[in-house]
Amino acid sequence: MVMRVYSFVVYLFLYVPIGIIVLFSFNSGRHASEFVGLSSKWYGKALSNPFMMDALTSSLIIAFSAATLSSIMGTTAALALQRMRGPVRVIFDGLIYISIMIPGIVIGIATLVALVTVFDILNPVLAAIWPDDNRPPKLSLGYISVIAAHTLFTMSLVIVLVRARITGMDRTLIEASQDLYATPWQTFCQITLPQISPAILAGFLLSFTFSFDDFIISFFVAGANTTLPIYIFSSIRRGITPEVNAIGTMVLVVSLTLLIIAQVLLRSRENKSSRDN
Amino acid sequence: MGNKKGSWLTAALLAPTTLWFLIMLVFPLIVVVIYSFGERAPVGGYVASLTLEQYANLPSRLKAFTNTMTFAPLGALMCLIIAYPLAYYLAVKVSQRWKLLLLVLVILPFWTSMLIRTYAWIFILGGRGIPTLLEIIGIEGVRLINTPFAVVVGIVYGYLPLMVFPIYVSLDKLDKRLLEAASDLGSTPFRSFVQITLPLSMPGVATGCMLVFILLMGEFLIPAFLGGGKVFFIGNALVDLFLQSRNWPFGSAVAVMLVIIMLVTVSLYMRFTMGGKSGRDTSIM
Amino acid sequence: MSKDYEDDLPITASKFMDELRRYHKGSVSRRHFLGVTGLGTAMAVMSSAVPSLAPGRALAAGNLSNKMVLATWPNYHNPKTLENFTGATDVHIQANVFGSNEEMIAKMQAGGGGVNVIENTNYTFQDYVKLGLLTPLDLSRIPNYDPSTQNPKFAEASTVNGKVYGVCKNWGTTGLVINSSKVKNVPKSHKDFFDVTMGEGSGHTILHDYQLTTIGAALCALGYSFNSVNAGELAKAEKLLIDSKPHLFAITSDYQPGLRSGDAWMSICWSGDGKQLNTDLPEMKYVIASDGGELWSDFYSIPADTPSLDTSYAFINYMMDPKNQVLDAEAHGYPTSDSRVAALQPASVQSDPILHPAKELFDGLEFGAAVTLTDPIRAEVMARFKSA
Repeated sequence: MVMRVYSFVVYLFLYVPIGIIVLFSFNSGRHASEFVGLSSKWYGKALSNPFMMDALTSSLIIAFSAATLSSIMGTTAALALQRMRGPVRVIFDGLIYISIMIPGIVIGIATLVALVTVFDILNPVLAAIWPDDNRPPKLSLGYISVIAAHTLFTMSLVIVLVRARITGMDRTLIEASQDLYATPWQTFCQITLPQISPAILAGFLLSFTFSFDDFIISFFVAGANTTLPIYIFSSIRRGITPEVNAIGTMVLVVSLTLLIIAQVLLRSRENKSSRDN
Repeated sequence: MGNKKGSWLTAALLAPTTLWFLIMLVFPLIVVVIYSFGERAPVGGYVASLTLEQYANLPSRLKAFTNTMTFAPLGALMCLIIAYPLAYYLAVKVSQRWKLLLLVLVILPFWTSMLIRTYAWIFILGGRGIPTLLEIIGIEGVRLINTPFAVVVGIVYGYLPLMVFPIYVSLDKLDKRLLEAASDLGSTPFRSFVQITLPLSMPGVATGCMLVFILLMGEFLIPAFLGGGKVFFIGNALVDLFLQSRNWPFGSAVAVMLVIIMLVTVSLYMRFTMGGKSGRDTSIM
Repeated sequence: MSKDYEDDLPITASKFMDELRRYHKGSVSRRHFLGVTGLGTAMAVMSSAVPSLAPGRALAAGNLSNKMVLATWPNYHNPKTLENFTGATDVHIQANVFGSNEEMIAKMQAGGGGVNVIENTNYTFQDYVKLGLLTPLDLSRIPNYDPSTQNPKFAEASTVNGKVYGVCKNWGTTGLVINSSKVKNVPKSHKDFFDVTMGEGSGHTILHDYQLTTIGAALCALGYSFNSVNAGELAKAEKLLIDSKPHLFAITSDYQPGLRSGDAWMSICWSGDGKQLNTDLPEMKYVIASDGGELWSDFYSIPADTPSLDTSYAFINYMMDPKNQVLDAEAHGYPTSDSRVAALQPASVQSDPILHPAKELFDGLEFGAAVTLTDPIRAEVMARFKSA
């Protein structure tokens, strides 16, 4: 009972600010600090604003790419490392450890400084060797640098999560499977994968969330591109209008919808598999 | 495991990750270290040089370092205190039916923008928010915004889900029959908690604290929004150096220093929290 | 560094005007030509008959992109002016607000970020040009700009080595704003301002996140020049700033929200913000400090790597239309350097004591000096103050 009340209070703490964001997105006044009247005009404004839509698209592309890349690379690396001992393993552990530990702001700065330095060297070279001297390609910061920088952190996150799951996994099943002459691939698909898939899913979701919400790395390495957090940051500095609240509310509603769909799908699959058993 | 096919497979599985680490981690860090020995160009930027001047200047940012070193552990601790009971409740007490929904509700705020959520607190803690409510009940002159308190509230609000999740994951793996067995054997709920649940949740606690601590060490937004430029973290100093005074070499030196501090503190931290079972393949690292 | 600066000093006002007139000649004669031949009338008739040639197209020649980025300052435009531009041209504007010129030039230096137009301040042109960050303006592409109606005192700073890099947006002063209902003894000088900050007004003062004005205010309070780059004077200013830090409400260049909510009582303040605050809240008093301060003018300039030169010119030309300047000034308040604008504004604007201070106060003000922008000591003093 105490636990229930406590949890309720924590949820209240989590949701009161969100309630305020949603409430003020319907404010008909321009200033976010005074509630004048109800209106949905800021939603129309936000949706017809090409900057907002571009920023949203960029963020979705970046977050999806980073989450997909890190889920795949993180899982394969975790499985590979599981089979290894010795110095290579130690080096990898060190790299994973460092990439998780280094603050995003340092990743942002380091990526910026390194890429700008490389581009300054490569761009004149490219211009010189490019056969069609009209339009030599110019390397610059953009989607790829943001995705690459996000993936560095999120990939390591997936490795840690998946590895934790592998460690806690029931080994007797694998041994049994091997004893029954299943191929390694069969063992992987039928025993290992189902057991680690919750960790992969969690890793994907965490990666997506991290990347979608990241401001500081993108702030340094996005170049001329604007992600949604960068757009919101400049909106807040401009003196926030309810338009930003409307954007926040829409993001919330969309993710809520996606989660509900995901849950319905999961549940129907669970029901199906329990029937099959 | 020693067969040739297996090691080829292992190498192939590791190749993309290796490449990523080299290009996105090792190389950029080397460049930053090189820059940190350089000099600031007259109009800002970097001029190649070999000097320790930047490191000698580090004490001028002492306050930013001490602020960060105070607020990062404090913030992680506050998150832990608030998150643990919730994670425990979700993992052990809540029925399967509600579990997913409640879990989703924890992470859902994460899917609005961190910026907007932090901005909401500017409003709540600002002059027309809680202080006005307090005035109604007769408490006057309370100032919350742009104080260390506001920064801590922002930290807890921002990072709570990151603490709840790892703890929940480790508690969820807990075999509840263990608790039943313990209770059958006459153990009190408290003793079961201390002897079974708590140790089993330690990897989650360690992960959560690490995650929050690490993110706080590089925090920029929360002090910028809720500290009003008065509660200054290293992250704010770095943004200033790179995006305002354009002192890339000094910024690089500050960044190198930050990384060193983190390596040391996190290593020490891991030795303390996981020293007892260092022989095992601990699930955190 | 300072020698360079001497060499690059703007040319004299009269020479500047001659230059501009000569520059402008092409556009005048074309307009003249259109008028004499009647082609202008014909075009006007045509454009009203053919909808696709109507305002949107007529507003500017060339290929406009569907969006543009404007690097600007807090509370610096009438949303209506920007919306009207979007309505007429279908170009959506994103206004990116900066806290200081240092931050703006750093962003441009780090690769611009696709900015079409920046609104930089008089003292920054030397460095922008030295770094090759600006496009020299072709004034014939800004037909709404008339150099002969500009006040050279404010407009000349954008001419570097004989080339024009910006057209004047407006000018203003940097003083103090004080909520007189909270602060009994309204400060008359920067010295008073810091005394009150560390006394009865403790916890309620805002200083800018901007080295020029914040260090400048401390220097003035100590009796030095607003623009000093003298290491000893700056060390004393730094001490004053750091001593006052525990008594501050915030360090931010976007100070209106704090003042309006009642959290902050005093701030360093630009005259237009002073006017905006005073209009809404009469207890907010704008004060030009007796111990000095800043006189400045801001310009519309085009970054060298603008994503669309045509869009940049279209926007500047639109903003140079006196009618649009009047509309814009209704929100931001600042006076412009363009006499055509003053002629369209109500007399009360011209006699406003906040916007047009009395001569004896006005004479004590200094323009920001170019050296301050990149001076390493000032940059470090500001950074240390912030991280203190």
